[in-house]
Amino acid sequence: MRYGLFLGCNVPAVRPDVERAMRLTMPRLGAELVDLEGSACCPAFGTFPSADEIASLAVSAWNFSIAEERGVELVTECGSCYSSLRIARKKLLEDGEKRDAVNGLLARAGRSFRGTVVVRHIIDVLYNDIGTDRIAAEIEFPLKGLAATVQYPCHTLFPSEVVGFDFPSGRPRMLRELVEALGGSVRAYSRDLQCCGGAGGFVKGSFASASEFAFGKIRAMTDETDAGIIVVSCITCLEHLDRMQNELRRKEGGDRRQLAVFDYSQLLAVCMGFDPAEVASISVIPREGAIARIRGAEGPAPSPA
Amino acid sequence: MPDLTNTRADLWRDIVGECGDIRHCFNCSTCVAGCPAAEGAPPLFIRNLVRKVLLGLEDELLEDETPWLCVTCSACEEMCPMGVHPFEVCLAIRRWQARNDETFIPASVAEVFETGHTQPVGGVGERRRAVGLEEVPPTIARFPGLLEKFREMLRGTDIVRDNDYMFKG
Repeated sequence: MRYGLFLGCNVPAVRPDVERAMRLTMPRLGAELVDLEGSACCPAFGTFPSADEIASLAVSAWNFSIAEERGVELVTECGSCYSSLRIARKKLLEDGEKRDAVNGLLARAGRSFRGTVVVRHIIDVLYNDIGTDRIAAEIEFPLKGLAATVQYPCHTLFPSEVVGFDFPSGRPRMLRELVEALGGSVRAYSRDLQCCGGAGGFVKGSFASASEFAFGKIRAMTDETDAGIIVVSCITCLEHLDRMQNELRRKEGGDRRQLAVFDYSQLLAVCMGFDPAEVASISVIPREGAIARIRGAEGPAPSPA
Repeated sequence: MPDLTNTRADLWRDIVGECGDIRHCFNCSTCVAGCPAAEGAPPLFIRNLVRKVLLGLEDELLEDETPWLCVTCSACEEMCPMGVHPFEVCLAIRRWQARNDETFIPASVAEVFETGHTQPVGGVGERRRAVGLEEVPPTIARFPGLLEKFREMLRGTDIVRDNDYMFKG
């Protein structure tokens, strides 16, 4: 199994510990990751897709041409990258006029879009290509029933016709089963299919209401479950649920418990025994307690009480 | 009450060309029911935007900033019973606004042109080194020659040609 690792912008710049976790865990699971040298922004929905459709498709096709040249399927963790690339691929394959216009632009850079590219999300690859049995077999430090909630990335669910791999889209299960493969217990809660609210222009354009939207989700997780961690598989969910828990504490001024947020690859890497300082070191809500619980005596010493 | 004396009847053609057929919308509000940004202030009500387009309320639409609140989750796209593709409508309206009023063009468009990214991917070496990674990832941030080709590609697009003062490099 070989895949082209599409990094996008946020993972390599803001949370490179997620990149590190993917680069360490995937080969251990038999999935070789090759670099897509020269890949750019997907482009994010708030950039070219909001200004010029052909330019937007050209940026996606730039990225496709690199994966096609390497002859590998493209895999990404970022939900927005995944969705933007899937939508662009569909438009390029279905609309000859747009494809011709885009190939005309690519020619200016000596590239071309052939249409062979395959765009995958990392949950899809982990679940369908690698499988939960293989993952369970590689775990050195199982979660031993540690209670978790999961955040399904909206961009991997809707529109299911374009991005879907987990069916039905209204009742996804792959991320839950992947966490269970690590020995975790996944708790249901009332808003578990609500998106995190962190993508697009909501937070920037209407901060107070966007915060309330996220608070509703966070309150549901903390009030309705005994979960100790949140597991996500999208850089935006990771950053937003992490940041918004602090915003909620600031607003409430109370002692609502806070849940450490892990990208799935980070949790997987911790369970496989990789160095937490490399694979799970950047966060707002401290993750040391959760990591110590998973790694026991092997993990970093809990700070003295 | 909107002013219906000053409308452009064929406005929908500018939008419809780039997404699903909005003429199928019967205002059922499913797109609003599942929309996070419908809780915004002001709220994003896609069904209202569709009405504005169909009624040809060009001036009102050009002053409406709610399409930019969209979180891009695409739940509306999944749920719309009429195949209108509300998320695509939202992006198509943003593009129409950007074509008709350059102040709508997001600054991040120029950023992607200039650096290939929306984040300082090439400028966080210390953070990357601390987690055992190369200081600059093997994206376009590492290859100035490829970045120049990327820009050359984009110089052929309408957005860059029509607004060249925004795009440096």
